[in-house]
Amino acid sequence: MNTLTTIDELAFAPSLPQETLEDTTSDHALLEATRSGDQDAFAELVSRYRNQITSYIYRMTSDYDGAVDLAQETFVRVYRARDRYQRSYAFSTYIYRIATNLAISELRKRKRRKLVSLTGFFQSTDGGEPKELNPPDGRPLQDSELVDQERRDAVQRAIGTLPEKYRAPLILRDVDGRSYDEIAAILETSEGTVKSRISRARGFLREKMRAYL
Amino acid sequence: MKDKRCEPVRRELEELMLNDNFSAATGEHLRTCFECREFQRQQTKLRQIVGSLGTVNAPADFDFRLRARLVADAEAPSFRFWTITVKGLATAAVLVVFGVGAVMVWQRVDDPTPAVAVAQPPQVTAPEAGAGEDPNRQVHWINDSLMNPAVADNRTATPPRKPKPSRPANTPKRTVSTVDFSSERATVISNTPPAVDNATVFPIEASLQSVKVSLDDGRGNARTISFPTVSFGSQRVLTTTANQFNSKGEW
Repeated sequence: MNTLTTIDELAFAPSLPQETLEDTTSDHALLEATRSGDQDAFAELVSRYRNQITSYIYRMTSDYDGAVDLAQETFVRVYRARDRYQRSYAFSTYIYRIATNLAISELRKRKRRKLVSLTGFFQSTDGGEPKELNPPDGRPLQDSELVDQERRDAVQRAIGTLPEKYRAPLILRDVDGRSYDEIAAILETSEGTVKSRISRARGFLREKMRAYL
Repeated sequence: MKDKRCEPVRRELEELMLNDNFSAATGEHLRTCFECREFQRQQTKLRQIVGSLGTVNAPADFDFRLRARLVADAEAPSFRFWTITVKGLATAAVLVVFGVGAVMVWQRVDDPTPAVAVAQPPQVTAPEAGAGEDPNRQVHWINDSLMNPAVADNRTATPPRKPKPSRPANTPKRTVSTVDFSSERATVISNTPPAVDNATVFPIEASLQSVKVSLDDGRGNARTISFPTVSFGSQRVLTTTANQFNSKGEW
């Protein structure tokens, strides 16, 4: 009988079946299956990344509906390019890179269109730093949840005012908790540049969020 | 005042993850440096706030919408083909229109004959002997004849070619289309037949042709002012049978 009875036996169990099991559920394997026409595999990939990608694009663009559209476009592009996909990068890096490019493209489009945003009314006309839309109220609030919500809104607005080249690495690092090398791979730049940009972004945020710190 | 050691310490604090422990040297520095301690406090607070943003969930119908989009995308190639085809045809049409226009403009610019007929100045010839009809007819070149009568005499014989005025290079070439009828005899138009058959009808002497003044504005632009001859109709010679007491109109 070859049954596992103890933890030690489990630890020393042959690793082949375990690896095979992991392979079939890895992102690469799911994409390989998608390539061969397995729609369920692609659905699994979508379910793994839809919230992360939507959230990331939302943090980049501060527009939920637009973020959902761009997240869907990200998956459409992954699906369309499934035959050209190469396993040299992690799938998460690959999909985050697509999402980053789409988000930055959207931000540039908005800049060209010069969309009138509510926060835009509070920006100085002489090209200076934008003023805070909701300056913090010094009075104590009853509900701490409201305080947290207000602080989160202020952070989101402050992130929205960052230049796009600082915004993406800051979100990937401080919101998503990704490593420097992974961020460098997503943004296709060096780790040194990523560290420098994150440091600059935090400096900007510290200035804008001084009242909350 | 910032110490030399502050910079590497802050760099380390920047690079650490939120829950990572910093090195002993950094800890030692933080105990002594108030600015770095404040920096570390603000940095930690800021990263906690940013990290508290959390994940925003995709809507419940995300998968459904994505599937619909993929289906639409799969049907899109034919649509894309026609879009590209229509765009290509439109571009070709625009190019053809521009090409035809360019050829037409080029031909028009290249054509030496002007579009507007330019009347030649009247040929002034010497009056033939016995022409009788208007022996005194001549063109008065006031500008020349007044200044130099000899020139005027020469002109009646063979009009010399006028010297071409020198025109500045940047002056646009202007064509003047005029027709001068002053050297021709005007037609006599009469509604009433002569009362007397043998009455001779001849025009009033109109040897004095229209006065023409040619001016040069000093920049090579010639201006000609013409004063037309005033005609008073025709005169008749009374015959011997004519009676001045006859009824009106019959002399």
